[in-house]
Amino acid sequence: MASSPILMQSPKLIRRLLQLPPSLRRGFYSTASKPEIYDVVCVGGGPAGLSLLSALRSHPSTERLKVALIDSQDLTTSRAASDTRVYSNRCSSLTPASLKFLQNAGAWGKVEARRVQDYHGMQVWDGVSGSRISFDPLNGKNGAGLLDALAELVPGSRFRESRRQYETGNEGVVATMCENQNLTHALLQRLKEAGGVEVLDKTKVESIQLGPEPEDEKALDLSQWPIVTLPGERQLAARLLVGADGANSPVRNFANIPSHGWDYNQHGVVATLQLDHAFAELDRRTAYQRFLPTGPIALLPLPNNKASLVWSVTTPLAAKLKALSTPAFASMVNAAFRLQIADLTYFLEHMDTIDIADELSWRLPNTSPASTGLPQSLPTVKAVQEGSTASFPLRMRHADTYTGHRIALIGDAAHTIHPLAGQGLNLGLADAQSLASSIAYGVEHGMDIGSPWCLDEYVSDRWAKNNAVMGVCDKLQKLYSVQSGPVVWGRSLGLGLVDRLGPLKGMVMGAAGGVR
Amino acid sequence: MRATTTPSSLTRLLALPPPLRTRTFSVLSRPPPNYPGHIPLTILERLSLAAGSAIGSLAKPYRHDLIASLGETTAKPYFLSRLHRAMLNNPTGRRILRDRPRITSKSMKLEELRQMPENSVGRAYAAWLDREGVTPDTRDAVRYIDDPEEAYVMQRYRETHDFTHAITGLPVIIEGELAVKAFEFANTLLPMTALSLVAIVRLKKVERQRFLEVYMPWAIRNGLKAEEVINVYWEEELETDVEVLRARLGIEKPPDLRDIRKALREQKRRQKAEREGSGAGAG
Repeated sequence: MASSPILMQSPKLIRRLLQLPPSLRRGFYSTASKPEIYDVVCVGGGPAGLSLLSALRSHPSTERLKVALIDSQDLTTSRAASDTRVYSNRCSSLTPASLKFLQNAGAWGKVEARRVQDYHGMQVWDGVSGSRISFDPLNGKNGAGLLDALAELVPGSRFRESRRQYETGNEGVVATMCENQNLTHALLQRLKEAGGVEVLDKTKVESIQLGPEPEDEKALDLSQWPIVTLPGERQLAARLLVGADGANSPVRNFANIPSHGWDYNQHGVVATLQLDHAFAELDRRTAYQRFLPTGPIALLPLPNNKASLVWSVTTPLAAKLKALSTPAFASMVNAAFRLQIADLTYFLEHMDTIDIADELSWRLPNTSPASTGLPQSLPTVKAVQEGSTASFPLRMRHADTYTGHRIALIGDAAHTIHPLAGQGLNLGLADAQSLASSIAYGVEHGMDIGSPWCLDEYVSDRWAKNNAVMGVCDKLQKLYSVQSGPVVWGRSLGLGLVDRLGPLKGMVMGAAGGVR
Repeated sequence: MRATTTPSSLTRLLALPPPLRTRTFSVLSRPPPNYPGHIPLTILERLSLAAGSAIGSLAKPYRHDLIASLGETTAKPYFLSRLHRAMLNNPTGRRILRDRPRITSKSMKLEELRQMPENSVGRAYAAWLDREGVTPDTRDAVRYIDDPEEAYVMQRYRETHDFTHAITGLPVIIEGELAVKAFEFANTLLPMTALSLVAIVRLKKVERQRFLEVYMPWAIRNGLKAEEVINVYWEEELETDVEVLRARLGIEKPPDLRDIRKALREQKRRQKAEREGSGAGAG
């Protein structure tokens, strides 16, 4: 790069330079650094972005693309914690489809297996009416039993083969709980092993702009390309800029893609809980969720005697819950699962003045389980892991579209969802899978991967599906926030019906599991 | 991992599901009682007992056991639960549910109550008992409510009925009882209290008119605006001043019924005497 001081000191050099042809002369005169051209630049090192890059590196068509990853956090220090008695409070539930994707991307093998927990059943019940739905694939209680029974009648038929495609090999697993940092660490290990990805961590994106107008026809025209400027004057020109940078995505802002939605005025309180008894590795685990008028509370199993809590409450209640001492918080969680709503409302209102454990020990023997629909297998929470109580605001946002010219959005940058169905991360991973396959298709067919012909396939695959899932979760949240009246009766009836109609329940589970 | 046996999908689809709350059992296999004295009833038994009690208590109002069974069989599914919830929402109500105090002739000693300060709740209660000539008998035990805590709520309601009489000053004659029942309906929403109002047909014309003009409006108005009377911890309020308690609960004292009746009787006697005197004088 030219620097004026050197030139000024050497007139001989200047004469030499003036004799050069114009195209080469220009290179010495321009002080602007030329942007480095990359095929894919991914802004954001979360699970969605990392899994996209892993998928690109794992596919033969795309493994030679020049890719870069930019993240403002330090990714090298990410490691899965070694103490199996302590678990992070940020855990995600991975559906079988997400697991399949991570296995194909080569990342699932690097996950710390001792810190991952499959669960084989789900119990979901309505706090107000006690009506419940249970998913129990191991006992064959759900799934399209009638269709499978018919298919078994004709061995060797194509119909029977088509029923087989729903077998994932991991029989009976509803989903898998995995800590976010465990997954991120595995993905980073995969990228390091595969190589070929320039990981720019601890790097904040200074700005994103379109490239400058070309000086003449023969010069490289980057005017339609997004140029990412990093600290130190380094510039990356992206053939495809992928925004995986979270809910307040700068890439989405650069692309002028509006995002619509609303806040729920709720916070999701998370914590790591210790249960009253330990489970062995091969034991059947169940996830529990109770719909309360203030928001659903979910207990998701972790290895041994641990569990992860996700409890959606109104914002002032979240603040009060976090301020409780850990024994009181544990008692509140038990109360939220076991007491009648009128009782629980009293507890929530007066939690800072009453002795929660004492009050609970009086109320529990006087609350009949039949009146609350309590599942018998629900474990009691004994303690809360110190320092694991936290909360995050809940909102729903959906970007109007996921792509622009040379822009693609995946993960939270594209959509934010209520955690009641555990779908947030799974939608992001499905986005990454779809985008990777669109890019692979584009490369195989000689397309410019940043052009709409390549990216439209991704949007048309994912936008409607994400919208449907978000819509359903939003309506469920609104449906279950009603406390009395005909809505409660109607939803209990509906839930009971879905519980009894095997094929319908199988469809619901299939949709939730994202089986492709 | 359990073996995956697939029962015939068709039979599972057609199998009738058990309803969540209503217990279906036969009289030949009654489930065990949930508390001493509990008698679980089938739906048919409950309905027929309710109908029979309603007719019986209308025909013979002194049959307090029929009134009790009418109350218990009509209180579920919603109304008693609502009352229970009202107690759970209130700190005093919760203390009552926790302590489960019982009002019996042993726990409420009349001699002690009579010694209480002038115009206190305890003194008013004792005075009312003396005036009406009744004792704090042990009320019928609740038998037909399944949940033990709700059974206690029903029992508490029954035992504190006399206190409601005491602080409103209404007597035990039919008219007074109906006024208290109307007040209790507006306050507790128990269906038995509303069903008892059918006994208006047993009142004389004058009484009925007076009831509909004065006491019924008083009862509805005060029952609705008053605090839940079930949440009053009477054992602790015995020394409280009656006016203070009434003000705290938001209840106005109705016109004294016995005085009105006495005044009316006096008036009629005087009129009769005048008529006879004038008749005798004329004749």
